[in-house]
Amino acid sequence: MAEKLNKLPKVTEYFCDEDQFSPGNACCPGCIMELNLRLVSKIMGKDSILLGTPGCSAPTIHGQNDRAWHKHSYYACVMTGVASSATGLARYYKKAGIDATIVCHTGDGCAQDIGIQTISGAAERNENIIYICYDNEGYMNTGVQRSSATPYGAATSTTPVGLKSIGKTTNSKNMPMIMAMHDIPYVATATLSHLEDYAKKLTKAKEMVKQGFVYLHVFCPCTVGWKVKPDSSITVCRAAVQSNYFPLWEVGNGAYRITQPVAKPKPINEMLKLIGKFNHLKDQEISVLQQQSDNRFSILQALCSIRA
Amino acid sequence: MGLKKEEKYIYKYEACWSDGNNPLLCLNTGDWRTSRPVINNEICNGCGICMTFCPPQCISIKDDYFLINLGFCKGCGICAKECPKKAITMTQEGDYADDCKI
Amino acid sequence: MTARSKNIKVITGNTAAAYAVLRCRPDVVSAYPITPQSELVEQLAKFHADGLLDCEYVAVEGENSAQNVACAAVMAGGRAFTATSSYGLVYMYDTMLQTSGYRAPLVMVNVNREPPGIHAVYSGQQDMICTRDSGWIQIVVENCQEILDTIIMSYRLAEDYDIQLPVMVNYDGYYLSFLAESVDIPEQEDVDRFLAPLKEQPQRMKLVAGAGTGCGSHGIGMGFVEYRKKHMAAMERSKELWDKIDQDFKNEFGRGYGGQIESYRCDDADIVLVATGSAVGTARTVIDAKREQGIKVGLVKLRFFRPFPVEKLCHILKGKKAIGVLDRSICFGWNCGPVFQEVCALTRHIGIMPMLSFIDGLANMDITKEHISGMVDEIYKASQNKPYQELTWLP
Repeated sequence: MAEKLNKLPKVTEYFCDEDQFSPGNACCPGCIMELNLRLVSKIMGKDSILLGTPGCSAPTIHGQNDRAWHKHSYYACVMTGVASSATGLARYYKKAGIDATIVCHTGDGCAQDIGIQTISGAAERNENIIYICYDNEGYMNTGVQRSSATPYGAATSTTPVGLKSIGKTTNSKNMPMIMAMHDIPYVATATLSHLEDYAKKLTKAKEMVKQGFVYLHVFCPCTVGWKVKPDSSITVCRAAVQSNYFPLWEVGNGAYRITQPVAKPKPINEMLKLIGKFNHLKDQEISVLQQQSDNRFSILQALCSIRA
Repeated sequence: MGLKKEEKYIYKYEACWSDGNNPLLCLNTGDWRTSRPVINNEICNGCGICMTFCPPQCISIKDDYFLINLGFCKGCGICAKECPKKAITMTQEGDYADDCKI
Repeated sequence: MTARSKNIKVITGNTAAAYAVLRCRPDVVSAYPITPQSELVEQLAKFHADGLLDCEYVAVEGENSAQNVACAAVMAGGRAFTATSSYGLVYMYDTMLQTSGYRAPLVMVNVNREPPGIHAVYSGQQDMICTRDSGWIQIVVENCQEILDTIIMSYRLAEDYDIQLPVMVNYDGYYLSFLAESVDIPEQEDVDRFLAPLKEQPQRMKLVAGAGTGCGSHGIGMGFVEYRKKHMAAMERSKELWDKIDQDFKNEFGRGYGGQIESYRCDDADIVLVATGSAVGTARTVIDAKREQGIKVGLVKLRFFRPFPVEKLCHILKGKKAIGVLDRSICFGWNCGPVFQEVCALTRHIGIMPMLSFIDGLANMDITKEHISGMVDEIYKASQNKPYQELTWLP
């Protein structure tokens, strides 16, 4: 089998360092945010500085007393202060002539809700920061409450399904598009089923951050919060891409491109049926989600058709 | 008054700093597992998909084979589900009860 | 005294603060404009634009970010500055707690203004009071020269290896922020020399890429307790060091402010008025007049509010017949002024005596000579064992 082992998945070619994280950490079984962190660690390298905030990644990024969960230098922030703290680090290092890759790693709750002002501010100032948002469509660490990333119809602990409720009644924010509209050097979406695509984008991010703000939006299902079987989180990622619910695209200096085009998109229901939080939805609500997903995709296609 | 007398402190830092050069914090996450992945090396084609998708990254290459570190495998089953050859089977931990040293 | 006065300008309090920052050579300045502090931000931006201030100037999108940028820059190893006021101060509250908890030696100017609740674009020290338990060193100053000098001294205190605490320099909005006075702007080389001792000290912890160290780990169990104890101990140490820094500054520049407090005609005084900020100047005039009338009254100018100068105050106030405290803010739930409440807490060291709380100067209401004269009369009455009113609202 030795010769077969030489044909390892291409993603491994992008690794430039060891995984700096402790082998045993507190992420739930099947949590691919953990996979995300370890991938970021391998591609960004040991010398990158991580910034985290209270959320699912905090118990893994932030240490306890004088002990740590990993060998990266890191900076723990308040929820409202991730992109701004990163600004402070980046600006000081710039002044001092120190070369450092600064990587913010937060959930959608911080990136899209409580911290959106600072991200928008840092993006407008075009700070040299990489911001990675792992989007698990809600406040999972505090017990699965809704966020602005929670899609229409999803059941969460603050949008429960009841006699008078179908779950969340409003659409989610299209956060990567919001960031793209900031005209920053690089914005991309990624997910963990398409590791090579993601690895390429991380590598590109490392390069593009020299020009300014980089935002990566990573679709990251939560097995507990979404009522997905622990073994199925990668399957859900793949289904999201194949249904164009979460298309993989990037925009670098104004040029939009779908990096993983899907020849024959599947109906969104193919993905929804894998996810418990959508189990209660009827055809009518599913068609609302389908419509919203189609609309967003056509906007993306339109943008991609603009020749830079 | 005040706290002017010398205090004996445990930590060398003035504030909440941690040092990754100390032994890393580590949980025995293998203890969480209810089912265990078992690789059939006869079927395995060495593609490495299991290794790249494993969230705790506890699958490594050893002597031409993939080895799962059961000390940290949380038993999520992603490796088994994603294996294109279906070479990994999730088996109940109860079947290994006799292995436990009590 | 080695430094010489060469450069006297008539400038506002905000501009004086900007000159102090310029002289301290910060690596990062981040601030968001707010009345009555805006002029300070604009002045720093101008210094930066003119190439005088060699720093990273971050024009943030809000005060919360201003504090985060500054805190992170300091933890990375730099010298940073930020400034705010009132609504801005309370908007950065979460990170202010982080800054002090991280033991980040940041210097911030807070131009005192009434905080939200009753909207008022007016002076008042309530904003500072709202943040008194945030673990910052809080200093209140009296005039434009003192603003400049105190900011320079604050870097010596904040960045001292034994202290490593953020310092908030407070001055009254409007009364000082927009008041033009003659201010002696020290030479760069003299300020460099004054701050040079910091370079000879051991290096504080810095966030270094690749070092594997993390800033802001969770305090678990005794770790949490220990860091709190260390924080409190550093705050206690700051009192003595501040007195020493003040003396050093006097030796260098010929201007001293007494350290934690300044006492005026207190030695032989029977009664004492305690005051802070710009009102102290008015009070001095009144004290002199009252002395002429034969009333043995003294004045204490409180410069340190946090840590509270317990020892210094006890030394001066012990044995006095009555004490009055002038507050430009209120202490909800205690029906008195906040500084008054703290002075009352000294009775376990200085014994029981009549203590009077005066609340004056809220929202740009002038603290006049007549007001202070009335206060002194009331304190005097109390010292003569006559009935007196414990809390007085003026006007």
